[in-house]
Amino acid sequence: MANTQTAEVNAGGTTTRAHLPSNKDMWVFVLGDLVIFSSYFIIFEIYRHQQRQTFLSAQQHLSLSIGVVNTLVLLASSWFVAQSVQLTRAGEYERAMRLTVGGGLCGVVFILLKAYEWSTKIGHGLTFGSNDFFMFYYMLTGVHLFHVALGLVFLGVVFFELRNPKLRRVSMVETGATYWHMVDLLWVVIFALMYVMR
Amino acid sequence: MTTTKARAITYVWIILSAITLVSWFLGPARVAGPAVASVPITVAVLAMAFIKARLIIGYFMEVRTAPAWLRLSTDAWLVVLWGAVLAIYLW
Amino acid sequence: MSAVSAAPVVTENARPAWTRRPKIDQWICWWTIPIFYNLFGLIFVVLTRVMPPPRPDITPEQIVAFFETHSLTIRIGFALLMFFIGFASVANGLIALQIKRMSVSPVFAYAYIGALVVGGLPGCLLPAFAFVAGAFRPDRDPQIMVMLYDWCLLSFVGSLGCFCTQNMVLALAIFLDKNDILPKWLAYMSIWMIVTELLASPVFIFKSGPLAWNGSISFYVGTAVFVVWEFAIIRLLYVAIKNQSPTEQIQD
Repeated sequence: MANTQTAEVNAGGTTTRAHLPSNKDMWVFVLGDLVIFSSYFIIFEIYRHQQRQTFLSAQQHLSLSIGVVNTLVLLASSWFVAQSVQLTRAGEYERAMRLTVGGGLCGVVFILLKAYEWSTKIGHGLTFGSNDFFMFYYMLTGVHLFHVALGLVFLGVVFFELRNPKLRRVSMVETGATYWHMVDLLWVVIFALMYVMR
Repeated sequence: MTTTKARAITYVWIILSAITLVSWFLGPARVAGPAVASVPITVAVLAMAFIKARLIIGYFMEVRTAPAWLRLSTDAWLVVLWGAVLAIYLW
Repeated sequence: MSAVSAAPVVTENARPAWTRRPKIDQWICWWTIPIFYNLFGLIFVVLTRVMPPPRPDITPEQIVAFFETHSLTIRIGFALLMFFIGFASVANGLIALQIKRMSVSPVFAYAYIGALVVGGLPGCLLPAFAFVAGAFRPDRDPQIMVMLYDWCLLSFVGSLGCFCTQNMVLALAIFLDKNDILPKWLAYMSIWMIVTELLASPVFIFKSGPLAWNGSISFYVGTAVFVVWEFAIIRLLYVAIKNQSPTEQIQD
């Protein structure tokens, strides 16, 4: 298990030695996941390059508003989770638990908004097989949604461990947080590639 | 009690949210009529996404204070991904 | 609880020395894994041309031509598979034993074996027989040849549920394990496997593109992740067996 001592030297909070949050196992997961997702993103871009007009027209059907709100929701959830790590390190477990729940609730809101977004698209006849853009749209947001759901499981584990004084570990909270930030990071990329860039 | 780190997290979150709101104005759905490809807008969007991603990695994931191998690998990933996306777009 | 122990030694020269090496039983099983996967590569890539898969979007005439061209190597390859497919069962038994060494209930070991017993059928054997039937008499009605072609490849790429279960069981067992038999990062890699397996489900819809059975996402990225996972587990099993005490008590 990684050393969780951060050397806070002075009031400025600069660390004297590098600290790896969480542990190497989670970083294997995060870095590998980023590489795998990047292969999907690059494949998406290649298809977009080959069908510029189709993708451009299809993109207009996406609800930019829901996309923006979802991005803001996930960014907020990352704020909650990042603060809960700080609070856990400071020993303020009650507040850390509440913020973890806050992050999780934002995750639930994200899922609900995504479900709503999908249902309106399907209602307009824009389904998985409609065209290549929407194939990628459902595929990328779907795999991402799987990651959000998994993230909620990890946050749940963090919450239950924080509740139990015998189980509390900073590294566990850091692990859940690192994963959750990756979920946020992936969404930021998806948002830029699918909703905004043209 | 807000430590420096906690405040930094809040500032970063505000910046990230602000950048996101900027995309609202750049998105294709705002344009009335058929969407048109736009190189300047796309380059701006990719640059902003690069910055957002780096901020999340650096401040939320605390890679800024992590060992060098992690800082270098995440920076390398950012450059490769966004570089490839931009290159394919401009090709 | 039964102990893993060597058979009672009758006299010094009753059994050859190499059979008295500690954990020789597990080492023999371990060796079947790299042997099997090399054969798997030879069979599926070189001989039977299932990996990478030929395209879904070709005409019946082209499909018939495919079977005619590769008829001999398909039959040789899959005949070999029939001999060596048993090695996979040995590998799974070995992994199941290591799961039993974990602090979790042996139900995970049983589920692991169960998932792969079921998975081996649509994952390996059905595709083999479909292709062999096509290669056996390539002068059939072209539509029947198309069906055998589709059957093999849809089954091979699309049979994902059992392998999702296998990986879920392994990941959960590793996460809950307090004995650290296998490292947590293997559990995370198993989660990648689940994701890439799930991304194989669109092969039932698309005849071309990245989500077809020969697609960049459904096939190539998934296979790349699988290769990494397989290398990892071969290495990790080696380390686990090496570090295992020969007199360790393993739960039933």
